[in-house]
Amino acid sequence: MVRTVIADDEVLARLKLRQLLRDELDVEIVGECATAAETIQVVSSTSPDLLFLDIRMPDMDGFDVVGALSSHPNLVLPQIVFTTAYDQYAVRAFEIHAIDYLLKPFACERLRSAIQRVRDQMAVAGPKGNGIHEDSASHPYTTRLVFKSRGRILFLSVEDIRWIGAEENYVRICTGGESHLLRETIGHIETRLDPKMFLRVHRSAIVNLRYVKEVKSENDGDATVLLTGGEKIAMSRSYRSRVQRLIHT
Amino acid sequence: MNPAIFISVSVLLGILFGLQEWFSLRHLGYHVDSRIFLESWGFQFFLWGTVSWLLWRLFASQVQRASLVTILTLFLPLSILVSAAEEMIWVLAFPSLPLNHPGLPYWNRLSIYLYEELLNNVVVFWCAFFLFLGLGYYQRFREHERAAAQLEIQLANARIAALRMQLNPHFLFNTMNSISSLMRSDINAADSMLEQLSCLMRITLERGQAQLIPLRDEMEFIELYLAMQAQRYAGRVQQALHFDPELYDALVPAMLLQPIVENAYVHGLSKVEADGRLSIDVRKKGEQVRVSVVNSGQGLKLHEPQSSNGHGVGLANVRSRLKLHYGEHSSLSIEERERKQVEVTILLPLQFQQESSTTVARPGELWSAR
Repeated sequence: MVRTVIADDEVLARLKLRQLLRDELDVEIVGECATAAETIQVVSSTSPDLLFLDIRMPDMDGFDVVGALSSHPNLVLPQIVFTTAYDQYAVRAFEIHAIDYLLKPFACERLRSAIQRVRDQMAVAGPKGNGIHEDSASHPYTTRLVFKSRGRILFLSVEDIRWIGAEENYVRICTGGESHLLRETIGHIETRLDPKMFLRVHRSAIVNLRYVKEVKSENDGDATVLLTGGEKIAMSRSYRSRVQRLIHT
Repeated sequence: MNPAIFISVSVLLGILFGLQEWFSLRHLGYHVDSRIFLESWGFQFFLWGTVSWLLWRLFASQVQRASLVTILTLFLPLSILVSAAEEMIWVLAFPSLPLNHPGLPYWNRLSIYLYEELLNNVVVFWCAFFLFLGLGYYQRFREHERAAAQLEIQLANARIAALRMQLNPHFLFNTMNSISSLMRSDINAADSMLEQLSCLMRITLERGQAQLIPLRDEMEFIELYLAMQAQRYAGRVQQALHFDPELYDALVPAMLLQPIVENAYVHGLSKVEADGRLSIDVRKKGEQVRVSVVNSGQGLKLHEPQSSNGHGVGLANVRSRLKLHYGEHSSLSIEERERKQVEVTILLPLQFQQESSTTVARPGELWSAR
């Protein structure tokens, strides 16, 4: 069960979350709070797995709540999903290891993906506590990206990236159903991704090995990488040996 | 203005006068040292250069605003005074002159030269005076021209802003009406359309007043808009987009595509039951950007007047903004192709954004990674 607390000063906002979460059978709401003080109190007494936290509340802001909770003895900080109408706190939220950032108004799919993220995180780190702290320290590579795409804030786990294509001064990050353009160079992105998970197969493409289904040789020595989603990505000869080494070991 | 300009120009003039006198004396058969001519004329005009510079420094604004009264009461006496003073200094500097009467006392020499040259000097003074007057007129003329040009740009910007503002509420109310209608039939669809509308609003608010935006931002907007339309037309319309990555940073007018795409839906795609097609294609064509939006539907009904079927509203708005931004360097055409397809083609000059030094993260930039 994902034991959840909802903190928002607006009753309709709480109601919406409560109603949408009714469809998530493994989510149990253990508390609802309208002020920051109440939130601190309820979270410390129930020690939930997940906290939906509004940023602007009348007495303190959401970050103050997190600050107060993290200095609390014997309390394992819950996973935090911020819900707010303001996008300017996204980087701060990311920095304090929030699991997601929902811009109001959000539709149920967006909420569902946040909950899924919480489940995944709990599966990795065990039922209690967010394991991100330990994770990031031992890891020299990027595990999550935060950026804005089509009016939404995304805290994208790199595992969700299927492949990355270079388009002039941009890279296109392709996940399951969507793609996002970022003003980045593919070379720069490559250095930040774990080479055990991602492989450069072409001057202008990186693939996530987890999604590689097949590598098909072409007549001229080049090859095509087939992804599980059906995408075909050209692979040039110079990158091919690297792939074969990886695939055969 | 730099005093060196006044002095060097007038000294040059003096040297030319000196040379001319020397040549004409030689022509008459006199053989005299050229140095004294160059020195005396040069010095005389050096003094005049200094005088004109002082006149410019001290009296430029009075010269340029001079009325007949100030001319008579200030500049006329000043011209005589300055001319006499200039002569006095000059005579003091050249005791060996005049050449045919060397060794005369100062006051005698001064009276000779005053008698000979005072009128010339006054004329030189007034030449400088009128030159400055003309310069003043010229400067003010230039300023006027610049101000007028600036005003024109401001006016054009205001018109563009007004035209753009015209689009937002139109689009907003249409979408809200769709949401209102969806609320009765499909609450989840209404919810997700509301989310998409908020995203569009967020993007629009972030852009603020910017009139020309990178194509990449316009793409983001149109992709969201198309996602909303796709939901509304559930499976009836196939969308195909192609944007040349080379043009992602090219500047285009904000809200360039939305009115055209809306038009394509309202007048074409909404009239077909199934298998509607919409394609947007943006590519480079020489030094221009070519934007093409093709939709299937009913074709153009040219016999209908533009105003009654509303075909013109969105397009007219885009057309006027293009004209205000680029003048004659842009074009918008609409034509019917085979199988009742309608194509809107826009050509606009290829421009890129100056690399901005802002540190504020824009949409589409990586904010942070860990």
